[in-house]
This record gives sequence, C-alpha cells and structure tokens, in this order.
Amino acid sequence: MTEMVRKPFSFNRVLIYTVLLTAAAVYLVPLVVMLLTSFKTLGDISSGNLMALPTHWTMHAWHKAWSTACTGVSCEGVHHFFWNSFKMAIPAVLISTGIGAFNGYVFSKWRFRGSDLIFSMMLFGCFIPFQVILLPMAATLGKMGLANTTAGLVVVHVTYGVAFTTLFFRNYYVGVPDALVKAARLDGAGFFTIFFRIMLPMSVPIFMVCIIWQFTQIWNDFLFGVVFASGDSQPITVGLNNLVNTGTGVKEYNVNMAAALIAALPTLVVYVLAGKYFIRGLTAGSVKG
Amino acid sequence: MSRLELRAIRKTYGKAERETLKGIDIDINSGEFLILVGPSGCGKSTLMNAIAGLEDISQGAIVIDGTDVTTLEPRDRDIAMVFQSYALYPTMTVRENIAFGLRIRRQPKEEIDQEVQRVAKLLQIEPLLDRKPSQLSGGQQQRVAMGRALARRPKIYLFDEPLSNLDAKLRVEMRTEIKRLHRRLRTTIVYVTHDQIEAMTLADRIAVMKDGELQQLGTPKEVYETPANLFVASFIGSPAMNFIPVTVQKGDRGLHAMVKSDSGETIDLPLPLALSAYENKEIILGVRPEHITQIQAHKEGQPLVARGRLTIEVTEPTGPDVIALVNINGIPVHCRIDPDHPVDPGDVAELMFDMSKTSYFDPATEQRITL
Repeated sequence: MTEMVRKPFSFNRVLIYTVLLTAAAVYLVPLVVMLLTSFKTLGDISSGNLMALPTHWTMHAWHKAWSTACTGVSCEGVHHFFWNSFKMAIPAVLISTGIGAFNGYVFSKWRFRGSDLIFSMMLFGCFIPFQVILLPMAATLGKMGLANTTAGLVVVHVTYGVAFTTLFFRNYYVGVPDALVKAARLDGAGFFTIFFRIMLPMSVPIFMVCIIWQFTQIWNDFLFGVVFASGDSQPITVGLNNLVNTGTGVKEYNVNMAAALIAALPTLVVYVLAGKYFIRGLTAGSVKG
Repeated sequence: MSRLELRAIRKTYGKAERETLKGIDIDINSGEFLILVGPSGCGKSTLMNAIAGLEDISQGAIVIDGTDVTTLEPRDRDIAMVFQSYALYPTMTVRENIAFGLRIRRQPKEEIDQEVQRVAKLLQIEPLLDRKPSQLSGGQQQRVAMGRALARRPKIYLFDEPLSNLDAKLRVEMRTEIKRLHRRLRTTIVYVTHDQIEAMTLADRIAVMKDGELQQLGTPKEVYETPANLFVASFIGSPAMNFIPVTVQKGDRGLHAMVKSDSGETIDLPLPLALSAYENKEIILGVRPEHITQIQAHKEGQPLVARGRLTIEVTEPTGPDVIALVNINGIPVHCRIDPDHPVDPGDVAELMFDMSKTSYFDPATEQRITL
C-alpha cells in the first residue's frame, strides 16, 4: 500500500477513477431520484426539479404505501403483499437450497450409472423460460389443490430453483476431495452422516450464494406471482403493480416510489448482509483440507 | 495385528477393455510391513482401494484373519487408511478429526478422550489438538492423518503415498518416524508408493507391480539383488541397473563375453559356468553401478572380476560416491566411483567389473536366468 501512495499521480489513474465514478453515478441516479421523490409532497414533485431536495421532508408517502394506498379494490397499502412475499420466499429458498445441497452431494460424491445424464437433464431446467411452464404448472397445481395459494407458489419456485441450486452445490462439491468421503467411510460414517457431519459444515459459502441467488429470484418474480396466486396470497411484486396501476386522477409518484423501495428493500438487505460470501462462494474453487 | 490374504484378485472397470488387476495373490503376515510399489497406472492404488472396500473387485477374495471380507462395507472391515492428501475434515479440530471414527462407533466419551490423548502423545501433536487442519503445516497434517488412523486400533493400516506431498527433508524424517512406529506397534501395514527408496527403506517385503500384475514379491534384499525380471531390475535402485546385451562365448578359462569400449578396446568379461546352456546365445547382463568401480586391490585375482579401460563422459558427484557415465557397446553405463579416486570427464580410466553380483536375463522372455 505504501508503494501505491508514493506513486506519482498519473493520467491513467485519473482516467480510471473518472470512468469508475461516472459509472457509479449513472447507476446510482435512479435510486437517488426514487429516494428523494419518496420523501417529497405531491406539490413539491409537480413544482420542483427531479433531482432537487424536498423542500419539506415527509414520511407521508411511505405510510400511505405501507398501509392505506389502494391496490385494486382494497385500500390497505402493500404490507399484506410484503408479508406474503416472505411467506413464499423463505420456505421456497430453504427448501430449494436444501434439496440442491443434497442433489449436489449425490451428483458429485455418489455417482451412479446414468448420474451424469440426469445431472445434464437437470441443468436443462436452468434454461427453460418461465412462460413455457405456465399452463402445465397451472394444471398441476390445480390437481394438487394448491392453486392460488402461497404453498402453490412455493412449489413452483422450489421446482424451478432446484435446477440452479443443484448446479451450484454440485460444482462446489466437485472441488471437495473425494478422499474426504473415503476417509469418512473408513471411519464408519454412512451416506447421511457424511452429508450432515462432513459436507454441510464446509458448505457455508455456497449456501450463501444459493440463498442470495434464490431469494433475489423468488422475491423479484412477478410472472409466477401474478399467474399462480390471487387475492390474499399475491406477492409484493404483484402488489406494487396493482398499486401503481390503480389510480384515479393524480399519479402519486411519491407513493409509487416508496412502494417500489419497500419492494426492493429485502433483497438489498440480504445482499449487504451476505454479499461478501457471495463473491467468496463464487470464486472459491476448492476447499483445502 | 492381523493377517491379510489377497486371493487371485481381478478387477476390470466398467467398459474398459483391459483388466486393471490381473490376478493378484499376496499373503501379508500379521505385523508385516508390505509395500506395493510400481509406476503410476500399475494398479497399486486400485488394489489398495479394493482392500479398503472403497472399490469392488471383479473376482477373487480378500480375507482378514480367516474371515472373507470381500463383500463387506469399508466400515465393517476394521481398516484405517492414511491418504496422500491427508483428507482431514476441514471444519473439525484436530481432536475432533481423531475422535470422529470413535464417535461414529459410539464409544463412551471417556474412552474417546483417553484414546485421543494416547495417540496425540504417541505422535507428539498434543499442542495442536484444538487447531483446525488449515492452521497446520504439511508435516503436522501428516501426523494428524496418521493419528486418525491409529486412534481406532484397526486390524490393518493402509498408507496411500502418505509422504509424497512433503518436502524432501520432512519426507526422510517422517519415513524414519513411520518405521519407528511400526517397530513399536507391530501392526500390519500395506503401504503404496511409487518411490523405490521408500520401498527399500521401510518394507519387510516389497510387492513390485506393473500393468496390474505382480512382478515380484520379496524382501528388499531379494528384490534388489535378485530381481525377477528386467522391469523389477530397472525399477528398483538408483541410478538404475545397467543392461548390456552380450553373446555368451566359450574360452580357455570358461565362459566369457566380449564387450567394446567407445575407443574400440575389447573388454573380456568372465561369466559363471552355470550359463553354459546359453553358449553362443544372447543374454542381457544386469550390472548395478556399484559393481563397476575404480580398481579395488582386494578383489584383484578373484574369478569373476575383470578390468577395462573406459572413457569417462560425465561425472555426477553425490557426496559419498561419484556416478560416472561411460559407454559400453554403445550403451550408456553408470559406474559408482570412490571420490578419493578422482576422475574427470574426458579421462580414460581403468575400471573394475565385479561380475559375481551380476543378474542375467533372457532377452526373449525378459525373465531372470536362475543359475
């Protein structure tokens, strides 16, 4: 570091920082505009500049978005949708990650005849567009009696997510030396003991990757939410859409912005809390014994 | 302390056309240190995994103390293994690593603690017990890996190239340590290596393997002095044995062979009379470098000793010896010369051939000619 400080202030360095700062600014401007707008009054918005600070800071729009704004016929804000999303995302993330860990363990450490073929077929699941499965999935959920329920949404997201989580865990476990499994077998450990006592404890980084990835995917999903859920099971993305599109007369931009920020907050929090694991987990090639 | 019998073990992998193991028969006595040695791909690791139960065999039987364990799971064979990569559980402390096998077997806690202490003391790793494997050096990890194997007091220990990840100095230290441990515990050990020096120094008996076949099974001395075939002769010993094809001829003083130095001088090498069946036929002389030396007065006049003048091409001083390269019949030949008889590249030196320890091989079968 000391060497860096002593380096002369070069043209290249100025250029690099200029480009980086510009890029950062470009990406941050929308967020800043949203934040500023959400704290303004409607009058402030219509009279002032987009980038200007609020003349009068107010939480009114946040309150309204949370508890009284109209989303379709009801006027209770987005808080129901917000909790719906949690009820859907948390089980779906945990179940799909758990199944992915187990699949990855089998595909990497207990290969059987045809296991590579099955793994390739599972990978195929990563490339199936959402729209393709809408009708068959609706029929399936109907037969299972899960149509229009949160449990139904969980089933859809788990089914879709398992392809990704299996891929993540399988690739992570491929880097774990086979000798560890052999040693554990000689020590007397069985299939499940090895999974729970040896493999899972060393999987924290890839768990973080999976949880962030799955949570972001599931939380942000709109299509499945709007198709497979109705009324009191709809997730926040659908709620936000309803809020923005329900409106008679004046567009309440401040309320829309606050609702959008509420919808985006959980994924941001998850990334801030677990982000360092995300980079670490993605770059970790193998576990040194 | 257990006896291990390998009976006609064959193994063919899934779709492979060639067999990986072609009928291996070895009896390992209780308390014996057996080393499986051979080049990579010779099947020695497959054989070791088969003993451990980590891989199935296609035919044959594995018998421990009279019990056929061929179809048993690894955990039911009572075998412990030390891996090349150590394979320590990274999330567990050294103590937990050593105790893992005992815990799985649901031994009482006090017994586990005692056993961990005993093993830690034996291997001098007591101060490391609460560290994670990632906080240990290679040598320390190696000790912990051995500790984990020792803790269960299994019937048989398997070592899969345990020293090949260590640096040269540590390797020699751990080699001595393993030998000391074996002398003290008198356990049955099967040890895989591709390092012939490890094999020579550690083994009670060496099993030399190539292409899935057992080439020779014998004590280090037998394998070194009377190699069964050209492969064993070339594999064991460093620098390797010299192979000189010659024709057996009958002369006034018995059998002999004529070879030429690079300057065209003829050297007359005496051969034992037992080779008379090979008169006028070609054989291969297997001469170890230490049997081509400077002139040694006390060997002068002995029946199977000859002299010859040869040009030194290259010298490699090793400290206790100088390895000199000469040319005989156009073949490069290594000699071992006392550093007190200085020779330099380009010198023409008079060297002594001690043919009494020479091995003779049939060029067609590549097998040793027993005299």
